[in-house]
Amino acid sequence: MDDQMNALQKQLVPVRGGKPGPAGVTLSQLTGFRLTQIAAWPETLAEAGALAAAAAGCGAAPGPGRAAQGKDGTLLRVEPLKWWLLQRAGQTSVPLQSGSAVAILDLSSARTLVQVSGPQGATLLNHFLPLDLRQASFPAGHAASTAFHHVGVTLWRTNAGFMLALPRSFAASLRELLEGSALQYGLKTRETAFSLATGELE
Amino acid sequence: MSGRRLDKGGRIDRSKPLTFRWDGKALQGYAGDTLASALMANGQRVLGRSFKYHRPRGIMSAGLEESGAIVTVGSSARAEPNVKATMQELFHGLEASGQNAWPNVRFDAGAVSGLFGRFFSAGFYYKTFMGLPPFEWGRGTGLWMKYEALIRKAAGMGAASREADPDCYDHAHAYCDVLVVGAGPAGLRAALTAAEAGRDVILAEQDFELGGDLLNDPFAEPKRLALIKAVEQAGVRVMPRTTVFGLYDNGTAGLVERVTDHLPEPGPFMPRQRFWTVRADATVLATGALERSVAFAGNDRPGVMTAAAGRAYLNRFGVLPGQRIVIATTNDSAYQTAGELAAAGAEVVLADARERSGNDVALGGRLQHGLAPLEAKGRSGIKSVQFARNTGSGWQAAGREDCDLLLVSGGWSPVVNLASHRGVKPEWNAELACFLAGECAEPVYMAGAAAGVWNAAACDASGEAAAKRAMGFEAMQPAPGGWTSPIEPLYEVRLPGSKAKGFVDPQHDVTGDDVRLAHQEGFVSVEHLKRYTTLGMATDQGKMGNIIGLALMAEALGKEIPAVGTTRFRPPYTPVAIGALAGRNVHGHFKALRRTPLHDWNLRHGATMTDAGLWHRPWYFAKNGETIAEAYVREAATVRETLGVCDVSSLGKIAVQGPDAAEFLNRVYTNGFAKLAVGKARYGIMLRDDGMVMDDGTTWRLAEDDFMMTTTTTGAGKVMVWLEELLQTRWPRLRVHLTSVSDQWAGVSVAGPKSREALSACLADPDAVSHEALPFMGVVRVKLKNGIQGLAARISFSGELAYELYVPADDGEAMMDLLWAETKHLGGCLYGLEALGTLRIEKGHVTGAELDGRVTIRDAGLGKMASAKKPYIGKALQDRPELLRKDRPQLAGIFPKDRSKTFNGGALLCQPEEGEGFGEGWVTAVTHSPALGHWIGLGYVAGGHEAWAGRTLMASDPVRGAPVEVEVVSPHMFDPEGGRMHG
Repeated sequence: MDDQMNALQKQLVPVRGGKPGPAGVTLSQLTGFRLTQIAAWPETLAEAGALAAAAAGCGAAPGPGRAAQGKDGTLLRVEPLKWWLLQRAGQTSVPLQSGSAVAILDLSSARTLVQVSGPQGATLLNHFLPLDLRQASFPAGHAASTAFHHVGVTLWRTNAGFMLALPRSFAASLRELLEGSALQYGLKTRETAFSLATGELE
Repeated sequence: MSGRRLDKGGRIDRSKPLTFRWDGKALQGYAGDTLASALMANGQRVLGRSFKYHRPRGIMSAGLEESGAIVTVGSSARAEPNVKATMQELFHGLEASGQNAWPNVRFDAGAVSGLFGRFFSAGFYYKTFMGLPPFEWGRGTGLWMKYEALIRKAAGMGAASREADPDCYDHAHAYCDVLVVGAGPAGLRAALTAAEAGRDVILAEQDFELGGDLLNDPFAEPKRLALIKAVEQAGVRVMPRTTVFGLYDNGTAGLVERVTDHLPEPGPFMPRQRFWTVRADATVLATGALERSVAFAGNDRPGVMTAAAGRAYLNRFGVLPGQRIVIATTNDSAYQTAGELAAAGAEVVLADARERSGNDVALGGRLQHGLAPLEAKGRSGIKSVQFARNTGSGWQAAGREDCDLLLVSGGWSPVVNLASHRGVKPEWNAELACFLAGECAEPVYMAGAAAGVWNAAACDASGEAAAKRAMGFEAMQPAPGGWTSPIEPLYEVRLPGSKAKGFVDPQHDVTGDDVRLAHQEGFVSVEHLKRYTTLGMATDQGKMGNIIGLALMAEALGKEIPAVGTTRFRPPYTPVAIGALAGRNVHGHFKALRRTPLHDWNLRHGATMTDAGLWHRPWYFAKNGETIAEAYVREAATVRETLGVCDVSSLGKIAVQGPDAAEFLNRVYTNGFAKLAVGKARYGIMLRDDGMVMDDGTTWRLAEDDFMMTTTTTGAGKVMVWLEELLQTRWPRLRVHLTSVSDQWAGVSVAGPKSREALSACLADPDAVSHEALPFMGVVRVKLKNGIQGLAARISFSGELAYELYVPADDGEAMMDLLWAETKHLGGCLYGLEALGTLRIEKGHVTGAELDGRVTIRDAGLGKMASAKKPYIGKALQDRPELLRKDRPQLAGIFPKDRSKTFNGGALLCQPEEGEGFGEGWVTAVTHSPALGHWIGLGYVAGGHEAWAGRTLMASDPVRGAPVEVEVVSPHMFDPEGGRMHG
């Protein structure tokens, strides 16, 4: 139907820049995903968690600060009462509808997803994020809500690198900062269709 | 001082010569040099001029405590003033120049000020320039205002470049188990101990080489190399050229890494510096100790420096700093230096202020006991030193020695600055004549010379013990000290009545007499002394002179040093470049820019953008060379005639979900929301607790338990925070979730008589927006012809038949392509914020300009929206008597009496006979109305427009122009019945 435009589209031409040699950082713009918020009430937390886990196709909904990978999507616990379900656009899974246990909200256009990978990925992120990203402190499966130049962002780690969910309107500005800093390590940028493998945790 | 490079020795690489320029003259040094060592090797003696008296200054140290060789490095945009030559790593092509001097530091016309030095005592400007007695006594500052510029020009440091900084800087965060500050013997050992025990260790060293004092001892090189290798193998993250400038709460340290300051210019893509925030579980401070001088006449002459510096230049940089050298000491530490300098070929006299010492170092020179330096003679370089002997009742001249270098060791001051940042009170150790850090309640541990441990072997043990304590183990710290013979505390040598200047703080030209004068004038607190004399307030923060100043004040007060106390050290330990503080948050990234989903589309279609909070929004779309005025008038007129499309994506949008969402909104808004039907929108006003208007907007009910609230563009964040606070603190039992969906949607306003026609042409079902299907304030889900799904609401800010159409942000451009084609076909236009403003001013609709936080709902003319049937936030306090006064300023329309004239937004509305004061009101917005054919405005006027019917006011704006006669009218200046909107 559409000519969908995401916030970074004009920057999607694959680019290799900065320090010569192997790229220290790869920034991958992820496209074609669906992001659904599942919000619970305190008394329906367990029920909502079960619904969320079923939709993601994982055994159990992750606790605070964690991400879980299911066969149908990635589930992030972004707030005490909220999960985000990240799936491929068009992915079929257990349908979710607002009801007494949960409130459902589509945020697919509200966030821009950037995967930060490469040997200097954590170093680059730590130019902006006040988070302890050492492997022992923030291994794959950990998630955090944090601030990037005063803007609230969501970060989680997979075996493939870090995933950064940026508010769409800020995405281009924040990405300029990422790219500017990443040049010192050697930067590769590319566009990648979101797949569950991208977000694979284990 | 006639320093010369030795043929061998030192750590410099003689196979790598480097050419640099000093005051325009090409000189040569070597890799491994500092600028100071290279200048010394080239025989350069006068490298600076002092702050106040313009006295010639040379190299006084070999470290960051330097107070003489303070220079400007680089040129043009990269000129950096106040660089300590002792800390500047030499590189090929370095350019450096003297500062605070004209024409140069060797022949400085400003030195004439030294002739008037007796008038420039501490606080002279307070006394002299606060009014010319008796004419300005106690009241005037007129002359001061004239002299101030001259004084500031005559006294000071270097000048910063006026050009923009061409380099970039990074911020960075790091975490570790143990942060070790200082890579001397104690720091290296501490880092190694912690890392070998499995801890994650960061080792920060301000020097470009690791080793600290080991670098000055050629025989310690094997040990140094072995330690460094072990440290690296143990996985320590080593950060050379990195200064820890501050310690803060919870183990947080501030660091500056000089990434490329040792290069002519940063390499491609590299930052010049990185500003690190390191969070450590524990911190070991192995920051060493600084050797201090003694106050005596001429102790600032070029050729007078610390004894440890003499050793550093000899052993590290291969420079013999003088040929005829006098070393004046109060302690054992200078004996090694004396022996090494003599072995290198210098003629050495060691004057020990103590009557005896038990030092057994092979001296190789003459040793004289009981002598201290009384005066350094010479002008641009020392030529001799006059000695004095303490007779027990005072000092007495005691001979003279010709020399070209005087090295002084007045004792050592452990660097306790970082511990002091954490509130650790320094404790005076009389035996060692220095302050030591007291025990810290936080996991911060001192090690090595910073803990007063002078002996090399004990420094190893000290580093190990500190590391163990940092890991939570018990460990015994070696006792401070380590000299064979005790130090002779010595701070000043002067004959009674002497007027010669002996400097306590050479960087700020503070003398011993200044300290005594401050005492005489009643400044007995050390904090007051600091501020009155500026002792310790130069860029070295008193590293050289603080203890001497304290000692002199103690003497004047007849107290012991501990009774006088010490000032608290505050960050930064060394100056931090403002660029490093700013990082990459400069220029366009000072604030993160928010782009709407239609940002690029708008630009492609000719938008000129303007700031709206963090957003860029279309301001106007000029055609064929139109000015902004021509463009917005055309756009507004087109909206009224046919239609226009405006990007309103930046409006705040908040999803309010949950079974109690309606109840929540009902409590927040002044008007009722409980019974708002699904598929309906309602305009709402929310107040603050104090009854003032906070924000406004429409809220759409999408389902029983699902609303979308819109807010003003700039009020969105504030409203979101406010609503969350209400839910979390006042109404935690309400089952409501709030989520910002501002970024989820692309939104446009489609306004004008042909708006329905354009919109319906874009829809899969053209009847979806018919009057019946979508009446005024209705909301429907729509599907566009290209398959995009969205929401359409029939609401109007312009006063015309109008709709807001929202689609997912990713579909924004596709929606706009479709809509723009239909709009053009119907003769419509794109319009920006300026025309939007015109349309709303004509209608008397309020925005942030009117809702400025001082306005009640009645003031804004919206009192009918304040429900009398239900409680809501702000209801109680909006009825305070003061807020009910009839003469409060109220929203009004404003016309110029002469319709050909305009007036300014921000002007005061005054009665014709009152040109001063606060007036009767103010103008909030002005525009040229195409509908009315003249300039119009909105504003507030006492009592509202009805109180001024038929009367004339003046729009007074004395800063920008002459007053304009205006009349006050209803704020609803166009189509007051709203017929067009409901059309």
